Amino acid sequence: MQDYFIIIVSAVLINNIVLSQFLGICPFLGVSKKLSASLGMGGAVSFVLVLAGAITWAIQSYILKPFNIGYLQTVAFILVIAALVQFVEMVIKKYSPALYKALGIYLPLITTNCAVLGVAILNIQKEYTLGKAVVHSLSHAAGFTLALILMSGIRERLEDADIPECMQGTPIALVIGALMSMSFLGFSGLI
Amino acid sequence: MRDIIKLGAFLLVISGVAGLGVGYVFSLTNPLIEKQILQNKINSFKEVYPQADKVENETASYLRESHDPAVKEVNIAYRDGSPVGVIYAVETKGYSGPISILAGFDIAAAKITAIKVLNQSETPGLGAKAKDKFFQDRYRDKNAAAPLEVTKTAPVKEIQIQAITASTITSRAVTKGVNAAREHFAANFARSK
Amino acid sequence: MSLMNEFTKGIVRENPLFRLVLGCCPSLAITTSVDNGLGMGVAFTGVLLASNIVISAMRNIIPDSVRIPAYVVIIAAFVTMTDLLMHAFTPELYKALGIFIPLIVVNCIILGRAEAFANKNTILPSILDALGMGLGFTLALVIVSSVREVLGGGTFFGIAVLPENVPAILMILPPGGFITLGCLLGFLNKIQKKTA
Repeated sequence: MQDYFIIIVSAVLINNIVLSQFLGICPFLGVSKKLSASLGMGGAVSFVLVLAGAITWAIQSYILKPFNIGYLQTVAFILVIAALVQFVEMVIKKYSPALYKALGIYLPLITTNCAVLGVAILNIQKEYTLGKAVVHSLSHAAGFTLALILMSGIRERLEDADIPECMQGTPIALVIGALMSMSFLGFSGLI
Repeated sequence: MRDIIKLGAFLLVISGVAGLGVGYVFSLTNPLIEKQILQNKINSFKEVYPQADKVENETASYLRESHDPAVKEVNIAYRDGSPVGVIYAVETKGYSGPISILAGFDIAAAKITAIKVLNQSETPGLGAKAKDKFFQDRYRDKNAAAPLEVTKTAPVKEIQIQAITASTITSRAVTKGVNAAREHFAANFARSK
Repeated sequence: MSLMNEFTKGIVRENPLFRLVLGCCPSLAITTSVDNGLGMGVAFTGVLLASNIVISAMRNIIPDSVRIPAYVVIIAAFVTMTDLLMHAFTPELYKALGIFIPLIVVNCIILGRAEAFANKNTILPSILDALGMGLGFTLALVIVSSVREVLGGGTFFGIAVLPENVPAILMILPPGGFITLGCLLGFLNKIQKKTA
């Protein structure tokens, strides 16, 4: 039980996937202008991340390892993720056209979201069991959503702020990211 | 329907070719990679116990369940066929993740010969200095009879290790790992019992 | 002339990191030292070059509806090869870049170039495009990592350039990556405003 708790705290706060592992920066900068869009993005990524975490774990333990073809890991994982994203896209398109419109170009881009592949590889590297792999993926997904929501909260207020012209858009978003990352640095050493 | 089969077959062929290509490169590089990992291990052994001419992994015969779980491997260093030193692989929890350390002990002198931090994910510029020579040298030639302790100021006693500035947790973690190895060494190999 | 153009556009005008803000993840994560930045840039350029060549050679064979999965498989294969080669020949760099080598596969720039350029052009322009984009990305990584290594570690290529205790450790910690890239982008915007 303690193991699980440590995994959760460390994945959500200490090793926050966006702010200290630098995975999934593209949506963090791109879809964080509106709170609703970032909620949707967080949800979509979380869903793919957890599913991909479980499936890639199974592939690694039941196919790649027994047949000694661990070197095909990257190829196999990216294929699974691409297929999953396609599936999620179809589901969202069918049941929530508004959300589909809001997420726009970033939905297919989940395939090239390094957070998903990154967490899948981390699960294997850390030699987690299936349960731990799922909890680990879930916590990273939560961390990702948290970072995205915090960011969009700040950026919505920035609209009224007087920012030097050259810093508008991505530059200021990166500087905000720096400040958030600094505050998350305070969590290290928590366990 | 025919389209789907055609497209599927196409993807299958692409994946097959890609897999074969990767497999080919793997078969070329794998011997090199394995050789290198082995060479790395031998080199690190040499660093913590230079006088050995042969090192054997004898974890199975020396490590029991009751021992400190931080100790991962017990390697015996031989010279001219007789054991002269012990090289431990230990793992402890640092400030931001596990730290793995090699610690070498000399049986005759009952002393630490040297330690080497193999892997760590400590804060760059602070705790990551644990892998620098100046810090590892602080463990050199320490007596294996008594537990080592960490001090923030210049050491006054033999058993004291000065911590890395602003990284006491990392320093303590390394010392804890070395102590675990030291304890095992004192119980199993020290002759001055 | 236009071939030359394909090469140079990636370096400044359409620099993937500074202009298009693609490939942020590795450029923030591994730019703690110039060595790493350069190594990442070279590995990245190799993969981009190989995938651009193969994809442009096969552009008439690959069915349109499955082109993205096909690209992904091709790129993933090259990334794995690079990963194995680096493990065998540059073990230090391999250890330093860690998980970010397999993650080249999800670098948006490579898939982006495949989709936007290699599948519409013949092999020669695709090679030049890859070299230009690769060089531009490498250059950007070297600039970011120089700033971070000098300010954060006080060294440049491992050689000490600042007196001890001057460096701000923050710059090689995660926040330093964000700050450096943010300020560089702002600075470049400013320059562009002036010249335009």
